[in-house]
Amino acid sequence: MTTDSPRFKPVLFPKQALLAKSFHWVNVVSLFIMLGSGLQIYNANPVFGGRQGIHLPPIFIGGWLAGGRDWHFGSMWIFSLNLLWYGVYILASRRWKHRFVGQPDLKALQVGKNPKRKAYSWHRIVYTAIVPVLLLAILSGIGMYKPAQFYWIVDLFGDWQALRIVHFMTVPIVVGFTIVHSLLALKVGGSRLLESMFW
Amino acid sequence: MQSFNRRQFLQMAGLSSTLLLSGCGSDLFAGVVGQVTEPLNQRLDELLLNPQKPVPEMPISSIEPDKLIVNTFDFTPVIDPKLYRLTIDGEVNNPMQLGVKELYKLPLTSVVMRHVCVEGWAAIVQWGGVRLRDLIQLAQPKETVRYVYFQSADGYYESWDLRSCLHPQTLMAYQKNGEPLPIENGAPLRLAAPIKLGYKHSKWVTRIMLTSNLLPQRGYWEDRGYEWFAGL
Repeated sequence: MTTDSPRFKPVLFPKQALLAKSFHWVNVVSLFIMLGSGLQIYNANPVFGGRQGIHLPPIFIGGWLAGGRDWHFGSMWIFSLNLLWYGVYILASRRWKHRFVGQPDLKALQVGKNPKRKAYSWHRIVYTAIVPVLLLAILSGIGMYKPAQFYWIVDLFGDWQALRIVHFMTVPIVVGFTIVHSLLALKVGGSRLLESMFW
Repeated sequence: MQSFNRRQFLQMAGLSSTLLLSGCGSDLFAGVVGQVTEPLNQRLDELLLNPQKPVPEMPISSIEPDKLIVNTFDFTPVIDPKLYRLTIDGEVNNPMQLGVKELYKLPLTSVVMRHVCVEGWAAIVQWGGVRLRDLIQLAQPKETVRYVYFQSADGYYESWDLRSCLHPQTLMAYQKNGEPLPIENGAPLRLAAPIKLGYKHSKWVTRIMLTSNLLPQRGYWEDRGYEWFAGL
């Protein structure tokens, strides 16, 4: 963001494209519903240990198994189509070229001296890395939702239990990501950057 | 516009009263979400299902006998195989009753498949029995038939779309893992298919009824909020 006039040096407020903000919002809300309803489904038969396994406190979305499934298979459309359109958007707008982690970030981490630049590199690494995790959540989810039609997805993960574990592991990863991503954003751009992504 | 609103209101009123009957408040919203999205998901289920195409089978060595959990909504009926009769009726030209001996004489089909429960667990099981489509053919359904109801000795009831019933791996099974079907798994006769969730697989089936329309009751768990098509 450079300004044409050399005489003014206004304070630069970070600004985000309206589309980027929309994708971010829809992603936050739909992913939250996916997590909440997913844990509701999880409680019907915990991934680790089955019925004797560790149940989570029943604070989740849907009230019971069928309700959780309704929410999960309703919001999956919003979540995955949002991600799909986001993919189209970053390709069409060529954001993929400069908005995600790249060689300069790795270089800054390896040989750079500027701690701010290094933090920014970490920020970019982290938010780039969540994209394949979300795609993996969708792939493993399709495998569990339609294992007869997409039997090759189950085979890809090995067996049913492996598929369940991979799908479930996206929950702690997303929760951890949300914390680290927020902290890094704060570190890199302060509350101004954080707010620019939402409003 | 006004009539649309009134209609919508009536739909919502009917919907909310069923939901109130079904219990706690957190169901209410989920019920609405299900009502909105389940028709779309069911269309997807129907599109994905090819009633001609078998699901790839698993090797016998992959069977997981201890992973199949027995789920029953009420009690376990003990049926004397000598007295057992399977009734096939409804909108058919040739309603019939079959005993165990007659069922055993029909061609035996074996399927090694993944049995997937709505709760999230799965088990690889071998089921052996009569293809449901062979039984339906014997009964000669009328052209208008689209749905099949299953009644069980324990009061469990289910309904399926006809296309899923005609799938070559949809069985009325009387064998499990190479052995005669145990009572707790549904002896003398149960439904088994790799293309639907476990709660669609009625055990202790005593009556198969073919219909043109879905009745108000669609299945024990479906009437309590589970998906009706439940395709895999």
